[in-house]
Amino acid sequence: MTEPSGGSNKPKRPVVVPAVALVAFTALGITALLGGFAEVPDPAPPQYGEGAVLDQGQFSTQFVTAKVATQKAKADWDTDKRFVELTFKVTNQGKATAMVGLPPSKPEGSISATSFAGSLVKVTPQVQAKGVPTVYSLSKNAQSGQLQPGVPTTVILRYDLDGAAKPPQKVTLDVAGFAYEPGFNDPSFHWSLISEETDSEESGSGVPGSGVPGNGRRPVVQAQVTLPVHGAEAT
Amino acid sequence: MTATASRRPPGRRSRARRQGGSRVLSALVGLVLLGGAVGLQTRNLTPNEMDAPITTVGAKGQEVNAGRFAVRVTSVTVARAVQAGTKKVETEQLFLIVQASATSATKPMHLAAPALLTPDGVSYDATDKIEPSETLANPWVQPEFWVSGNFVFEIPASALEGARVVFKLPGSALVEPYEPEAEVDLGIDGPEAARLKSAPSDVYILKKS
Repeated sequence: MTEPSGGSNKPKRPVVVPAVALVAFTALGITALLGGFAEVPDPAPPQYGEGAVLDQGQFSTQFVTAKVATQKAKADWDTDKRFVELTFKVTNQGKATAMVGLPPSKPEGSISATSFAGSLVKVTPQVQAKGVPTVYSLSKNAQSGQLQPGVPTTVILRYDLDGAAKPPQKVTLDVAGFAYEPGFNDPSFHWSLISEETDSEESGSGVPGSGVPGNGRRPVVQAQVTLPVHGAEAT
Repeated sequence: MTATASRRPPGRRSRARRQGGSRVLSALVGLVLLGGAVGLQTRNLTPNEMDAPITTVGAKGQEVNAGRFAVRVTSVTVARAVQAGTKKVETEQLFLIVQASATSATKPMHLAAPALLTPDGVSYDATDKIEPSETLANPWVQPEFWVSGNFVFEIPASALEGARVVFKLPGSALVEPYEPEAEVDLGIDGPEAARLKSAPSDVYILKKS
């Protein structure tokens, strides 16, 4: 390890290191000036229309139709009822009976969902309905809350429209998926809704999960399905 | 090495060969032990199996005693529609009606809605199209009394063969490990499944238990 005679590499070091540092700092500075390492927004989920079939993991779902249904008054004191009905054809691909469930009132509310309707994370525009919608499976006029494995079942999501409320022209459903995997603090395998961590900046405060329903997690929207509502008067 | 070598009677084999042989032998033993250890790991219970209830297995007609309760499946019927009270419920699949009786060991209890298990591990919960109040989940199951009733499953015809019914304790707020359950083989083999499939009764009238 003797020094080579002539010392040709001696002026090299003072040049290379500062040059590299200068380039790095300039690059960093430019990046910072341009807004830093901001996360690129996620690409919009794929869009689907009427009749689309989606594989949600636990369920294979066809989004059949959306329509306005009316029910004539059965008595003098009764009034005609109007519903917005979304029809699905759902096949439970799991190995056990699943529930039809209810769509969550807030998207974050569905992260622990284990039912089919729990995967309908968001319905836009919000249907002006009385109370919560009803969801049931229908076969030969028999209603049920169950989805038996391997049996294609018609599922109806029904909003009871407010008296003067105008039904929307079309509805867009944000649909999440399920995965058969161990839970967060539970090693056993089960179907659970695929969710991701919310960025702490988005949740308002610095601490992730503070004040946010869903413990700082939100469902991953797998697809958006837009259904025209048949029978809704054009305005 | 020298210690082992000196213990053995001298002169039967040369020292070099004995060492080489024992080395090969110990390598083999090591491989076998390693293989055994790896093999045993594959027999580890999965988390789902660790949490599984303790199952008592029996067949149709037998009294299957799961400890805290005992059940006996008396007969199995297949129908296209079930009438409970005044309400008639039809299905596109098949209704499988399981007639069973149950008793409890020490204290009064209710049975939960059972599940039907196929040989390939698919499980169908008892249908909710029939109100639980019409089934054996409704009456109190008490010690020393056998109370009988029905459970109704809605299944595709392909699930008939080899089906078993799993009776469980009702769910409670208290999570309990290793709950007892009773698994009853309905004794539906190939020909019996074909017979049930081909001739379901049109309407089965549930008698309230």
